[in-house]
Amino acid sequence: MSWELFAVFLGSSIRLATPLLLAGIGEMVSERAGVLNMSIEGMMLTSAFAAAVGSWATGDPLLGLLLGILAVQPIALLQAVLSNTLRANQIVSGIGINILVLGATTLAYREIFGARSRAEIPGLVKIRPPLLGDIPVFGTAVFEQVWLFYAGIIIIAITALVLRYTSVGLAVHAAGAEPKAVDKSGLSVTRIRYAAVLFAGFMASLAGAFLSIGDIHTFTEGMTRGAGYLAIASVIFGKWRIGGTVLACLLFGAATALQFQLPAMGISVPNALLIMLPYLLALMAVGGLVGRQMAPATLGEAYRR
Amino acid sequence: MSMSSDLAAPAAEPLLSLRAITKRFGSFAALSDVSLDIRPGEIHCILGENGAGKSTLCNLIFGVHRPDSGVMRYRDAAFQPSGPADSLALGIAMVHQHFSLVYDMTVVDNVLLGRERGVLKRGECAAQLEKLAVEYGLPLDPYARIEDLSVGERQRVEIVKCLIRDPSLFVLDEPTAVLLPDEIAALLEVCRRVASGGRAVVLVTHKLAEIKKIADRVTVLRGGKVVGGSSTPAADINGLVRAMIQGNVETLDTSAASIMGLEPVRHVSHARSANAPRIEVLQVSGLTVKDHQGVTRLDNFTLGVDRGEIVGVAGVEGNGQSELTAVLAGMMPATEGRIHLGEIELTARSPKEITAAGMGIVPEDRHAVGCVAAMSLAENIYLNRLEEFTRFGFLKRGLLESKAGEMMQRFDVRARGPGVIFSSLSGGNQQKAVLAREITLPNLVCLVAAQPTRGLDVGAVAAVYSQIRAACERGVAILLVSSELDELLTVADRIVVLYRGRIMGSCIADPARRAEIGAMMAGQAQ
Amino acid sequence: MTVIEQPGPLLKRFAARPALLGSLLAVAFAALVGLVLIASIGVSVPDAISAFVDGTVGSPYSIAASINRSLAFALVGFGFILANRANLTNVGGEGQIAVGGIAATAVALYGHVSGLPFGLSFLLPMLAAVVVGAAWGALAAVMKVKAGTNEVISTLLLSFIGVWLLYWCVQSPALLRKPMTTSATLPESLEIPDATKLPLLSGDYSFPLHIGLPLTVVIAVVVAVLLSKTVFGLRLRAVGLNPVAANRAGISYARTVVFALASAGALGGLAGALMLLGEQYTLKDGFSSGYGFDGLVAGLLARGSVTGVIAAALLFGFMRSGGINMEMVAAVPTALVVVIQGLIVITLAGATLFIEKWERP
Repeated sequence: MSWELFAVFLGSSIRLATPLLLAGIGEMVSERAGVLNMSIEGMMLTSAFAAAVGSWATGDPLLGLLLGILAVQPIALLQAVLSNTLRANQIVSGIGINILVLGATTLAYREIFGARSRAEIPGLVKIRPPLLGDIPVFGTAVFEQVWLFYAGIIIIAITALVLRYTSVGLAVHAAGAEPKAVDKSGLSVTRIRYAAVLFAGFMASLAGAFLSIGDIHTFTEGMTRGAGYLAIASVIFGKWRIGGTVLACLLFGAATALQFQLPAMGISVPNALLIMLPYLLALMAVGGLVGRQMAPATLGEAYRR
Repeated sequence: MSMSSDLAAPAAEPLLSLRAITKRFGSFAALSDVSLDIRPGEIHCILGENGAGKSTLCNLIFGVHRPDSGVMRYRDAAFQPSGPADSLALGIAMVHQHFSLVYDMTVVDNVLLGRERGVLKRGECAAQLEKLAVEYGLPLDPYARIEDLSVGERQRVEIVKCLIRDPSLFVLDEPTAVLLPDEIAALLEVCRRVASGGRAVVLVTHKLAEIKKIADRVTVLRGGKVVGGSSTPAADINGLVRAMIQGNVETLDTSAASIMGLEPVRHVSHARSANAPRIEVLQVSGLTVKDHQGVTRLDNFTLGVDRGEIVGVAGVEGNGQSELTAVLAGMMPATEGRIHLGEIELTARSPKEITAAGMGIVPEDRHAVGCVAAMSLAENIYLNRLEEFTRFGFLKRGLLESKAGEMMQRFDVRARGPGVIFSSLSGGNQQKAVLAREITLPNLVCLVAAQPTRGLDVGAVAAVYSQIRAACERGVAILLVSSELDELLTVADRIVVLYRGRIMGSCIADPARRAEIGAMMAGQAQ
Repeated sequence: MTVIEQPGPLLKRFAARPALLGSLLAVAFAALVGLVLIASIGVSVPDAISAFVDGTVGSPYSIAASINRSLAFALVGFGFILANRANLTNVGGEGQIAVGGIAATAVALYGHVSGLPFGLSFLLPMLAAVVVGAAWGALAAVMKVKAGTNEVISTLLLSFIGVWLLYWCVQSPALLRKPMTTSATLPESLEIPDATKLPLLSGDYSFPLHIGLPLTVVIAVVVAVLLSKTVFGLRLRAVGLNPVAANRAGISYARTVVFALASAGALGGLAGALMLLGEQYTLKDGFSSGYGFDGLVAGLLARGSVTGVIAAALLFGFMRSGGINMEMVAAVPTALVVVIQGLIVITLAGATLFIEKWERP
């Protein structure tokens, strides 16, 4: 395999990993605080749709991005209310939201765009960072990415610092491990968890917007195709740590990139197997090939004083 | 001894005053019409049996719950906390019976939780902790993780979390249950120092020894009501006890009385003739348990229990007792060592096989291990013997419930019927049911009881001891694991002391050797 | 949470079962929203409703088709509540149906079963589907026992893998794709031989109810009895409520988990077999699409009761038929039905707090 092809592979891996990275970090924070959001898939789909519509209607992809972010917040709020205040089963409510969003976005898409149209939607621009972009062979292929990717990296770095060195990080960690301790120290477990879910929603909205207006510049029905669940798997794979989650997302991104890479190299593997690969990897990861997972103690349980 | 109305007469302006406080959970009245005052500079003890409502009272003061009726006033202003944050803001701090600490965080991080906003200043906090350590005699490693600390050290973290806020009211809920004798003395000293600074200390306890040592005033709770009190507790002890248990000291089971510190601890021997042949029933040799992080929790534990003998395993919680019980029950694998019950080897066997061999276990955590709280009483009692109620796979529910009814009679388990949900029973009745299940195993040869009387009122305690003694007289070998030294001194024949997973020594259960045993519990080998 | 059932007149049961009332209210609310949505996209509501009714009970054929669909939902739903009794959430219905369908087709087409007597020609493909579905569920169970893996994620991932396996099977001539005579040959399998198709109850293709119906009824009774009257059901419940205490009482956690998830998978596989051998006769990509989730929702709605599953399955079966007809005749997109289902799940999930307070004040 030539260096050029490898560079393209790396670049694709990063591109395909970006939505997982964005959504995964948000979900990681939420799960550390004790809330499991199966609805990440639905949130991503909502944002993909809203961003596409916004960008198409106004002609400005940034406005589309904004619409995507705004559209997800009510959904994240709904999930937060269901999980924390109504103490609903977090898995059931998350899946319910996904079903609802799938139906609603399909319905809305058909209404707005008609059944078969492929409207060209203005997309987010790519950027080419100065030093890295100038590396011969690799520079452009690997490092020229949609600016949302680099924004994501910055957000991830900030999240890591906040979790480790600030009171917010302490509160999040404690809320998932021992919410009783949080309550008795005067903080509100509910407020922490609400904020965590809204943050997960925000990150999921970035991920979804990336999918539609960042990557392929169009919207197709159900386009998330399980990416949200892969994000959840990456958190488990990464043992609820930032470093691990990032690595897991890159790995899944690379597995997805193989779909295009192998045919380009002339290796013929059935397409279905390649599409399956990230899910297989995720399954092996959560199935214990990387050792027993220690989830935050109260993950999935609503808190009651 | 004076009644509660006397206590309400202000000698000094009360810091905290409660009037006619009532709190219900569903149809159960945890507190009824409770009135009391806490004055600045005093150590005020709330005395009562388990289940009297003491913890509920603390939770109301700390804002965890809200009273259904009544008035609370703090510093002469209406006091209606909607959560711990409100109480903390007013200067009320509480050390809980079940610690509220995050186990995989450090001491500093636990102390900082909820105290600061923004970037954490861990160094400053550590320095403050060291100052407190000197001032109050509470040494701690600021950067140790809670899961690596002993139970006594963890309680120190709880205390320090309170003291660092410079509270004006310091509430402690049954703090001495998990401490070594030395640590208890140190804790009482801390209380004295806190109170001497013009602050008030509320100490909740059921142990009279502590009352005698430091209480300035006492309020007695029974069944959620204030039934007595005193401003001269040391002199009024007998009256306080009468109020607490509603009965005379003489009618109490001797062992139960000893545990509360009512009488000097006396060993109660049971019928076992000196000439009876000593047949070893339970043989544990070289048992070693390492947890999933490789830390050794039980180290080369070797012990034998004879037929009709009661062997006590003493030691403060967290020194390997949980692991010992778990391995004996087949819930945890041992890294090394062997267990024999008579001729049968039980090492690495499943709980089903262990039960079938005749080993009964009363686990220390009734709720997590001993029962399925949402199932019925009858189902719980026979959960490990459902085969007896099966016909072609179908459950013979009628038979199950009638048999369970018989058990209820025999073991004085009080409930509305065998079909009620287990969690609706009181703690004492739940424990009686769990004990009933294990003791009535058809071929019981050995019974392991871990912390069997924890959280039980005097009546239930007496019932548990009488069942254990009866089983012993039938020839069952009994291994009694307890962190209450007094309990072992009155009930057991022989005591073995566990410290950090190792046996420090063993001796006859003689109250005269209490100091020696206490030293072993603190890690001093003999 | 499960209240021990007391026999009694129907009305008394109704009022005493807030869960049932809650489910009905949730469905009514979602249906109302659905009607509003129909109106908002400019379709005449009476037209839509009449198309819906037509599609559900308008002809013997549509009734039979609705019931056939309900069978698949019911089976997945039974599997769900069975596993849920042990506090396990099986979300992998779609994948289990898919692999069940693959197994049934493979055996029907290439297993040389057409000539066998005593109905083995269709029973063996069904058995294959059951076995493969059970294995699919058992995989998730083993992961849970060995590594503590949350079965929601594992069954979900397995579901995706199952669906892509189906895609592979019908795309690849080496597997189940029918021989490509022209470049326009569709990616699907050959039609299964007549002997392997499920016999019809009436023998008449205008009313195509097949033997899957009595089979499902039998399974319903078995599951109901198992859950409420057997010692096994009691043990399942114990493991679901407190696995540690159940273990201490001698109930094997591993065996219970494996049995529960394998059963759920087996029932899902059977659903796939019924769909294939009873209705579709050809393995196509996406044949399981939506069925898994519908069955899951039926299980969720039922809150542990077999009759609840049957009611919900019938509801969704008829809704699906009605929805298809609504799309054909009144131009109402089937996505609307999906929206309604999502609303039902969310409403019920959010209402559990109130329902439980009502059940036990």
